[in-house]
This record gives sequence, structure tokens and C-alpha cells, in this order.
Amino acid sequence: MPSTSLALTPGLGSFLKSLKTHPVDTSIENLISLLKRRQIRHSRSCATATAYLLRHVVSVCKTSDPAKLIERVQSVGRRLMAAQPREMVVGNVVRRVLGLIRDEAEDDREAEFTLSEAGSESQPQTPRAFDDASLPLDRDALSLRAEGAERSSSRPTLQSMFSLLSHPDADHSLPSTPGTQSPNGRIPGHGPSSKDVKAEVLEGIGEIIDELGQVDDQIASYALEHIHSNEIILTHTSSTTVQKFLVKAASKRKFTVIHAESFPNNHEATHATVSGNSSGDDEHLSFESFQKPLIALGITVILIPDSAVFALMSRVNKVILGTHSVLANGGLVAAAGTRVIARAAKVHQTPVVVVSGVYKLSPVYPFDFDSLIEYGDASKVLPYEDGDLVDQIDVQNPIYDYVPAELVDLYITNLGGHAPSYLYRIVSDHYRKEDISF
Amino acid sequence: MADPVDLALPSSSATAPAQPLPKPATENTPSQQTQNLPIRDSKTAKTPAPSDKQSGKAKDVSKPAPASADAPGATGADKPLTPAELKKKAKAEKAARRAKEKLDREQGGAGTAGGLAPGGGQSRPPTAPKKDAAGGGASQKGQKAVPPRRGSGPTGQTGAVEHKKKKEDKSVAVFGHLYGQQRRTTIAGAGKEVHPAVLALGLQLRDYVVCGSSARCVATLLAFKRVVESYTTPMGTSLARHLTTHLSHQITYLSTCRPLSISQGNAIRALKLSIASVDPSTPESAAKATLCDFIDNFIREKITVADQVIAGSAAQKVQDGDVIVTFAGSSIVKQTLLTAHKQGKRFRVSIIDSRPLFEGKKLARALANAGLDVQYSLVHGISHAIKDATKVFLGAHAMTSNGRLYSRVGTALVAMSAKERAGGVEVPVIVCCETVKFTDRVALDSIVVNEIADADELVSAAPPQQVTGLTDPVTTTKPADNKKGTSSAPTTDPSDSSLTASSSPLTNWKDTPNLQLLNIMYDVTPAEYVDMVVTEMGSLPPSAVSIVHRMSTNM
Repeated sequence: MPSTSLALTPGLGSFLKSLKTHPVDTSIENLISLLKRRQIRHSRSCATATAYLLRHVVSVCKTSDPAKLIERVQSVGRRLMAAQPREMVVGNVVRRVLGLIRDEAEDDREAEFTLSEAGSESQPQTPRAFDDASLPLDRDALSLRAEGAERSSSRPTLQSMFSLLSHPDADHSLPSTPGTQSPNGRIPGHGPSSKDVKAEVLEGIGEIIDELGQVDDQIASYALEHIHSNEIILTHTSSTTVQKFLVKAASKRKFTVIHAESFPNNHEATHATVSGNSSGDDEHLSFESFQKPLIALGITVILIPDSAVFALMSRVNKVILGTHSVLANGGLVAAAGTRVIARAAKVHQTPVVVVSGVYKLSPVYPFDFDSLIEYGDASKVLPYEDGDLVDQIDVQNPIYDYVPAELVDLYITNLGGHAPSYLYRIVSDHYRKEDISF
Repeated sequence: MADPVDLALPSSSATAPAQPLPKPATENTPSQQTQNLPIRDSKTAKTPAPSDKQSGKAKDVSKPAPASADAPGATGADKPLTPAELKKKAKAEKAARRAKEKLDREQGGAGTAGGLAPGGGQSRPPTAPKKDAAGGGASQKGQKAVPPRRGSGPTGQTGAVEHKKKKEDKSVAVFGHLYGQQRRTTIAGAGKEVHPAVLALGLQLRDYVVCGSSARCVATLLAFKRVVESYTTPMGTSLARHLTTHLSHQITYLSTCRPLSISQGNAIRALKLSIASVDPSTPESAAKATLCDFIDNFIREKITVADQVIAGSAAQKVQDGDVIVTFAGSSIVKQTLLTAHKQGKRFRVSIIDSRPLFEGKKLARALANAGLDVQYSLVHGISHAIKDATKVFLGAHAMTSNGRLYSRVGTALVAMSAKERAGGVEVPVIVCCETVKFTDRVALDSIVVNEIADADELVSAAPPQQVTGLTDPVTTTKPADNKKGTSSAPTTDPSDSSLTASSSPLTNWKDTPNLQLLNIMYDVTPAEYVDMVVTEMGSLPPSAVSIVHRMSTNM
């Protein structure tokens, strides 16, 4: 995936390369320092790096005892999160891996139990069929049922009233429901050896990595449902998810894009995205540099300074925004400037659509907004020429904005479109309760 | 547009009055013929034709550089022509220009290479200066060293040429009505009636040296004062009649440099009214003295004193411990804050600035030098700055009579954020505005009435390496490439353009199909976001603007 030239500069590319050769502890330290130095920045890069690292961690882990695995992943995860608490995707990936291990462990125990008791071979087919229809590794609402039942049989802590009701007959109707996490490649009548737990977990992490690679395309597949002909769409920053979404829509529809340049922090990438001649020196861009820009597809793109958003909002039909992470209450942590754009859209009754992969969905509730906001390089706001001012005035360059949920009308994730109020449900589908704060 | 050649008339005809073209130089003959030829041919002949540098310059703005074959002719073309001939030629040129514009429109943006493409600087503006010099030398020679403009600096002349050519393609459809003519790039082609002070002011306005509604108003009035002082009524007319037309030449010139502000318009209207009311029987000197007095009074009453009054009363609204948010760099807000500071109030100022003008920087510097506690961020930080704000002070470009605030683009975002704060506590938004900025126009959105600035201003100017003085690998490799490029024809072009592209991806935005840049100057803030308008006549709600405007114009 990364080009060879990237290996020279510290970043995702070089990290993934070094992962194969370096010992685990060095890699962990490596990622921690990359996160601390902000050499890995964007949500997806962070998520990918974390997933690869965890796969590595699990694979070299001597023990196959699930409890030990959990402990190990937790300790690594804690260190990663401490390195960059505002990259919430790191925590999300860690949580999902933890959830995987827990599920596998429970399945195992259960399988042991059921194998001796019922020994049914054909039953697991039902949940598997569900999963095959759904997206890989994303337990959707259908498989949730089986999962709830399964959990209820193994643990006394219930997740929903629904599973409470289904409890009595859970053991009979769904004696072993192992297929929910890693549907492919599971041998139905596998032995209860704990070696398999590790293999399953590794497979599951592989699927998380696959998901990270496909998420933008999956989101883009909903584009045609949301963009009609001759629309005027406003967007902000050079988010790849948004670009892919728009490009997909551009294959069938004609519309106009107004692109706010998100000046001090992301304008260069935005300019490159908009004009299509990316310089390729930025790690984030290099992954997407092969992608056709919108203008090449005959879409008129109007680049505006951020300040002109209000002036133009009255002509905009839809605002499509990318985000840094999504919180469980439906609020966003997104690039600075997003909040005023969303607010201006609300004032003009323009729908705001947020496109985001499920991996950005964090189980964190924002009690302290300020802690979520990161401040960046002040020299981007006040360049070197005005250095004399720096002593006298306080220059601020926030990188993120908190956008409250009421400003967002619709979320489009790789699972489909959701109202902001529905997000907590997806959160509970993806993360185990015990992992939310680990 | 025909003015340039008319202007050129006196200088050349003075040297050789009414001579029937003594030696028809070889370069001049084609241009003579083209007077009869309708469209296409006259286009090529047009550029060598300019008989003096002024008109050459004017043309350079409006059309591409000539083919290099014609280039050497230009210097030899300094032949005096008779006024009649010049006029004829002007007519032919005008026709040709119109035809060319039509042609351009037909060709649209796609056919860049069309028949009009000059030999030189089409796709590689900054990197092949030698070629440009050879290709477009004829017209560029005439250009005086105009200090490079901020933003559009490096591409310079060729940029201007291309700009005109592709304008149709690059204008944003919704704002189509606002793309009138390009802002004037040189003083060439200004009418001979235009006073030097006005000429200079025009350039200052264009380059935002004089920027801000009241500054522009004052500067205009001062320039007009000098116009009045140096004015003598020609025989056979009265001052009241002729001075108005004389002034309107100045006004037309100014408006081609940058569209006039509301305050300028109001001031000019008042001045014209006072000229018209001059009694024809008063001697010229007395009348001029009255007019000068009027201008002085107007500046004093409407702006200088008004500002003091506004600053005084707005400063009263500032309390100890306040956090005041302001947007961009309004002079009246600056005065207000400084006044409040002088009164010993302790407060913090948070300035929000925007690209591309960065007017807030000046304000930040002024306030910081005065010892205020200043915080500075850009538009992206509005929601953070507004979080702990207690008041918002805004300057105005104008107040429309439906109570809306017409001000620097981005103001509406600040006002909106102040009114929609998460906690539900609204921050009062106070607008400081002289009544001279009130207008009877109404505005509902920011699209019908606005001003479009040159979109090249949005293309980031100099790369930061230049500031540090460090040699940058790109620039060190460039000269070598360049030399090769000039010697061995356009083979090195791709590498050249990629080098320039690496500095900013937008450098060649005009050559990029479907990409448009929009740089509007103002936006309209809804009246409900404004709590109070502080004027020299008192503090009003925005709905009172129309009433005050009517009162102040009836007086």
C-alpha cells in the first residue's frame, strides 16, 4: 500500500514496513512516538497502524490464554491511548480487538459446553448466513439478536431487555453461535483448543484491517441515494471519505461542489485535492493520489475561503462533511471551522450530512468539550514574517471543533444512513461494555 | 475602452500636428489596412500599431501578447499620426476588440490553445521569463515597473492577459452578474481629465493600501478636494455644471480601480449636491473655497468627529473583565477599544481574521502596541473564540435600510456564532457604524449585491522558504531547468510546470478545467443577529437604519 519513497519519512508507511522486521516492543515504542510526534495523524492512518500493531502483538504473544491476551492488549492499548488521547480511533480499534478476544473466549467456553451436550453442527449456519449478507465484521442488527442471546448465556450482565427475554430458550435455539465475529474460515466443528482462540483473533483483526481499507468505498456506495442532479454541495477539508463519496456520485450525476479551503491547517491538501495535482509529499495524500479529482469528472468545483461560507449557504442544497471522530451522543469532533459551517447550514435550513466510517465512532461521551480539542501550530495562523507580534498577542490555532449532534441531520457510515440519535445503538453493537473504559 | 487611444492623442499630435503620416513605416501599413478589414486580421496588426506606450499598455490588459514576429515593430511604430487617423484606428481597434471578445466567448475555456495563444507565456508563466520577454516584448516594453501586486504578483502581465481571456469560463455562475470588468491594472488608459491625486488614489484603492469604508471615503474626498483646488472652469460653462462632469470622470476612473463603497457613494452624492447648489454668480475662487470647506466639514462631521462620538459611546459598553470578539480590522472598532483602554478598563480582545486580506493583523498589532491583551485566531477558530466572549464588536461596510449589516465576508459567521452559542446565552453584537455608511439599498442575501475580488489573491503567494533564506531544493534546480528550457524549446515544459505546481497546487488554476476560485469581499448579516448599531446620532436597533438614513439625507 505505501509507496517506497515513504519509507524514508516517519509515518504510516515506514511504520508498517518496520513492523515486519522489528521486535514487538520496539514497534510499540515506535508507534507511541509516532503518535506523540503527530507523524501519524489522520484517523484512518492511526486506526490502520493500531490494527496492524495489535495483530503483531497478538501473533507473537506466547500465551494463548484469552485472559492473558486481553491483559496484554489492554496494556498496549493504554499506552497507545495515553500517547495521543485525542486520536480516539486508536482506542476504538483497541476496544474492538478486546471485544474480539472476549467473544472468542466465550465462544470457546460455550463450544466446549455445547459440543459435549448437543454437538449440533448445522445450527451455526444461521448466524453465519446473517453475517455473510452483512458487511464483514460489522455485527449488524440481525446478528445482534444471536449475539445478545449468546452473551446472556455466558454472562449474567445483560446488554438489553431483548436478550433478557430471549434468555430462557437461548441454549436450545442457538446452542452455539460462534459465527458472529469471524464468519469466514471457521470450521464448524472445531476443537476447543485454546490455540484456535489466537488464530480466530488474528483473523478478526485481519478483518478489521480489511474494513479500514474498504470503508470509504462502502460509504461511497450510498452516494447515489443522497445526491441528486444539479445539486450544490458544500464541503470542507480534503477528507478522502467525502471525496470518494462525491466522486462516486459524480459517475452518475451532475452537480456543483463548493469547497471551503479550511485555511491554516488543511488548505494545502484541500487545494491539492481540488485541483487534482497533489504534490505527493504528504503521507495522507499519497494514498489517494491515484484517485481522480472531481474536476476531471466534469464536476464544477468552486473553491472559497472559509469566511464566505455564510454568504453562499443560501444557495447550497446540502452540506457534506468529513469528521475526525464521532462521539456516542452523535456529536462530532471535526476539523476546526466545521462547527460554524454546520451552524450556518442549520440557520439556512440546509441539511448537514456527515460521512464517517464506523471505526471513527467512539463510545466516549463528551463531558468536557475542551479536552477533545487539540491546538495546533500557531505559526500557521501568524507566519514567520509577523514574528514580532507573537510576543505580544496570543495566537490560537485550534485543530478541531466540537459539533453538537443537533447540527447534524444524517450520518452515513459503512452500515448505511443513521440519525444522530441512533448512534448509541451502533456503539453498543461494536464495543463491549467492559471495554468502554479499560 | 476607447479612451486609451483618445488619451494618446494629445502627446503625439502635439509633436507633429496634422501631418499626413510622413513615412509610412512598414509596420504601420498593415494596421492602416486593417482599418477596413473587419475582424481577425486586425487583431494581429493591432499590437504593433500602438503609436505610443500608453495605449500599448492599455491593450496589454485586454488582449494576449502579440505573436513574436510582430514584436520588433512596436518600437518603430512611434510615428506621429494625425488626430483623424488616430481616431479612425481607435475605432477599428474597438471593433476588433469586440470581435475578439466574441470569439473568445465562442471558444470558451476549452480552446485555450486556439488561434489566440501567444507564443510565450501560456502555460508556464513564471519559469520562462526570457521567452515572454521575446514574445510579448512589444507590449511589455511599454509597461512601467508597476510594483508587483500582492497575490497576483509572480504571474504578472501574462497572468492578466490569460485572465481576461478565460474570464467567462472562470466566473462562478451564481455571481455572474458581479463579474463586470476586471479591476484596472495600470493607470494607462485613464482619461486625461483624471487628476494625478485621483490616479494615485485609484491604485491605492485597488491594492488595498487604502482599505476600509471610511478610509476610502476620506481619501476620496481629500483627492477630490485637490481636484477642486486645481480646477479652472473652462470658457463658456459654469462651475456648477462643468465641475460635476469633471468629477464624474474622476469617479469613473476610481470605480474601475475598485467598485465604489457605499460611503464613497454617499460622500460623492453630497459633494455633487453642494456643487449643484453653488450660485452661478459666485466667483470661481469663492465657489472653490466653499466647496473645499464643504469637503473639510463633511470629513470632520461625518467621519472624524463621528468616529470620536461613536468610539466614546461604544467604549461605555465595554466593562471590566469583558472579552470582546471582533472580526477583521475595522478602524472604528480599533478606536473604540483604544478609547476604552484609555479609560482604564481592563478587558481582553479576541480578533478573528480571515484570508486573503488579513486585516485583523494590523488591528492586533495596533492594540498590542497600546498594551491591550489580544488573542488572535482565524475564521476556523470562531467557535472557540466566541465561547468565552461577552461582547462582539463589529465594523461595517454599510448598513442596508432593511437593517442588515453589509460587511467584510465572514462577519456574518461571527455574528451568527455569537447568537447561537451552545450555552444558550447570547452574546450581544454591537455594530459601530457612521451614518455616512447607511444606504437606502436593501439586501436579502450576499449574492445580489457584493464585490468580487481577484481570485488570484487566494492562491498562496510566496512559499515560506523564501522568508528563511534557506536554499530550497526546488529553486536551486530551477535555474538549470530554465536555461535548458530557453535553449531547447518547449521540451522541458512539463518539468517546469510540475516544479511550479509544487509550490502551490493552485498556481495553474486558470488552466484547470472546471475549477473555479471565488473571492467575494462582503457578506450580509441578518438584522436579527445585530443587537445595536452605535452611530454618531446615538445607539439604535438595526431596524432604525432606514429612518436615520432618511433623516440624515433630508437635512
